[in-house]
Amino acid sequence: MTATANRRLSPQAKAALGIFARYATIAGLVGMIVAFSVLSPRAFPTLNNFTNVLNQASLAMIIAAGLTLAVIVGELDLSIGFAASLHGILVTGLIVSSGLPIPVAVAVVLVAGALIGFVNGLIVTKAKVNSVIATLGVGTILTGLAFAYSAGVPIVAGVPEEFLQLSLGRWLFGIPNNIVVMAVVVGGLWTLVERTAIGQEIQAVGGNPSAARLAGIDTDRIKILGFVVSGVCAALTGILLASRLGSGTASAADSYLLTAFAAVFLGSATLRDGEFHVLGTLIGALIIAFGFNGLNIFGAPTFSQYVLQGAILIVAVGLSSLGRSIAES
Amino acid sequence: MNRPVTSPVEPMSAKPPLEPAAAPFLTVTGAAKAFGGAQALADVSIALRPGEVHGLVGANGAGKSTLIRILAGLVEADRGIVRLDGEEITVVSPQQATALGMSFIHQELAFVPGMTVIENIMLGVPKKSRFGLVDWAAITREVEPIARRVGISAPLGSNVKGLSTAENWLINICRALVRKARLIVMDEPTASLSAAESEKLFAIVEDLARSGVAVLYVSHRLDEILRLCARVTVFRDGRTVADFERADLTHARLVEAIVGRAVERTPKSGEADTRGAVALKVRGLTRLPRVKGVSFDLRHGEVLGIGGLVGAGRSELARLVYGADAVDAGTMELDGVPYAPRRPADAVAAGFGLVPEERRADGLVLTKSVAFNLTLADLGRIVRSPALPLIDGGKRSKLAEKLVADLSIRTASIDTPVGRLSGGNQQKVVIGRWLSRAPKVLILDEPTRGVDIGARGEIHRLIRALAAKGVAVLVISSEPDEQPDLCDRVLVMVEGRIVAELEGPALTRNAIVEASYAHAARTEETHP
Repeated sequence: MTATANRRLSPQAKAALGIFARYATIAGLVGMIVAFSVLSPRAFPTLNNFTNVLNQASLAMIIAAGLTLAVIVGELDLSIGFAASLHGILVTGLIVSSGLPIPVAVAVVLVAGALIGFVNGLIVTKAKVNSVIATLGVGTILTGLAFAYSAGVPIVAGVPEEFLQLSLGRWLFGIPNNIVVMAVVVGGLWTLVERTAIGQEIQAVGGNPSAARLAGIDTDRIKILGFVVSGVCAALTGILLASRLGSGTASAADSYLLTAFAAVFLGSATLRDGEFHVLGTLIGALIIAFGFNGLNIFGAPTFSQYVLQGAILIVAVGLSSLGRSIAES
Repeated sequence: MNRPVTSPVEPMSAKPPLEPAAAPFLTVTGAAKAFGGAQALADVSIALRPGEVHGLVGANGAGKSTLIRILAGLVEADRGIVRLDGEEITVVSPQQATALGMSFIHQELAFVPGMTVIENIMLGVPKKSRFGLVDWAAITREVEPIARRVGISAPLGSNVKGLSTAENWLINICRALVRKARLIVMDEPTASLSAAESEKLFAIVEDLARSGVAVLYVSHRLDEILRLCARVTVFRDGRTVADFERADLTHARLVEAIVGRAVERTPKSGEADTRGAVALKVRGLTRLPRVKGVSFDLRHGEVLGIGGLVGAGRSELARLVYGADAVDAGTMELDGVPYAPRRPADAVAAGFGLVPEERRADGLVLTKSVAFNLTLADLGRIVRSPALPLIDGGKRSKLAEKLVADLSIRTASIDTPVGRLSGGNQQKVVIGRWLSRAPKVLILDEPTRGVDIGARGEIHRLIRALAAKGVAVLVISSEPDEQPDLCDRVLVMVEGRIVAELEGPALTRNAIVEASYAHAARTEETHP
């Protein structure tokens, strides 16, 4: 159908559409920042507000950057939000109830995140279960585990101040820790995908799994790697969220799922024709963060955030597939 | 109705046509279509008459399927006129083709497993309804006689699960009749039918013709064509080269028209024989239903061709050797060492390379650059060090530039998306990927399909140069001219088995085509 539609487009129209699809998101981000600055010149365009936005958006950016790896290799990971919720409970529980030192607890949870990703990857590649179903199932199981571990009660009492400082601290040149961690994760994943041999294989598996396999790439291994990265990033977000909230609460991080997907798809429509990439995800997450910040500043009611987020997701996927159909024609 | 089976050598001229032929209702005149640089159809014409079974034959790539796709509204012809009842038409969609009374039945049959026979027959057909509900009782009453006529014996209300391929064909034919099709196009109808099932199908095809439906019967099996068809059109290299009436039909004439009287080239007299020790030894390799007990030796420095018709199991054989599919039975040895790849990565590690048949679907990451695609199978060569596997931009460009120069790949730069290159240059990229690895065995499946003449010559020289360096090369090709030019030896495959080995003066284009057809006819006769 798309092929038929494109066949009837003139080359000029196609080129114009391509430029629109590539730069629409960046134009949207710039336009939004300009509009909010004009409308609210005192509250919005300040260093303080921008740092604040970035700080709050960092957790979403981390989990979205991880998800980017899973979608680049051609799979979806719906377990990340539920996993992050579980990890938040797990890390506080290990510190408060089991009395583990903070670094050990954090390490244990990161390994648990990797393990969940590994299991997702095995189910998808070896048992050949569709990734949507596999990760939805795993996510639901994780929610159950989270309730079981916390007995349904948020872990609040006895959370040490040092753990809170993980997210709230500014250990490096006064930059909020969240932003530092986010920068390291995004930078690291960008390097992995764009600059390493494994990254070439990741991109090949995403671009054409059949060609990648016949070129001698172990596609199953690469897909599992994508899930593992996604799982570790979900764990990181879960830990930082628990630290920021000062508690481990079931379902606390569930909503990151939708934010992460919106960011990833917005990102795929950015600069490259419908191709997922880490830097694009970063821009997608920024759009969402500034959008919410603007709504807050103007005192928009809570429901509007849901409307915005849903609308962004649909527009993002639309732009993404528009870009792809142009690239393929 | 039961005409005796004509033996391939006996002409049917003894039998006069049953009745004077009606005037054609559907004609195609001067149709042409190019895909990229490749001319799939150059100039074909065909005229179909009501109540006639019209055969369409031609070697692989002669243009049969392109014509069918044009009639079905799947591709648009570049040139040519299609007339239906004297009126010029352009079929732009499959829906329109159906509305015009054309039905197409392919080898991959369209039916939904979980549904009943009647539901499958009525798939996509507007249905009678009562009070807004589909009136299955009325529909069944109406369809029942048609179903019985085409020989569907299963109850219409039963599930299609467990029905044979033959019965699925009948369901598709029945659907065409319910839609009041005037033309039914059958593409290789007997490819997966037993001899007895084929017999039934022939009777139904003849019955259809008697009732006034036109049948376009596409088949490689010439004995069926001779038996069923009142008229046969032969395509070769995208052109209509012959139109036979029943009186003029003989097996020999058909083969001659299919093969053509092209001047035979002297088989590779200039090339030095570079064959050395056995590289790959294959014994009894089997994966049902397409590959049945294939054995051969491939030597270092040898270019070995696998010939035969599309569907003979050649690509499936290549996939087995390359570890892309699991083997049912059989063994392989590479340089005397047992070789049993479980995935392509194993084959690549052992020293294999594959240039797949569908380069866009299976060979290239189209949105990525020429450099990306050229270095994909040899990433170890372009990293800074094994310990720090960061891509070294300098090494990467150097390798890509070298391959582009060595293979004379015409591209604006190594950073151009490979999807923008012409077919021939894309193919060179897929081949080039393996060169830096110095493979022991290189498998090329249709290396010059959709490639222009110039690039084709370059690719052939490249393959010979690789063989001269000791690479063992396996070439699958459906172009009749390609293998005599290129190969030291050709094995012809028919229905999953190797039926002929051609070498030296015996290795000619005609010999390959004749082996493919002669054995196709014989296996059909001896079918249980």
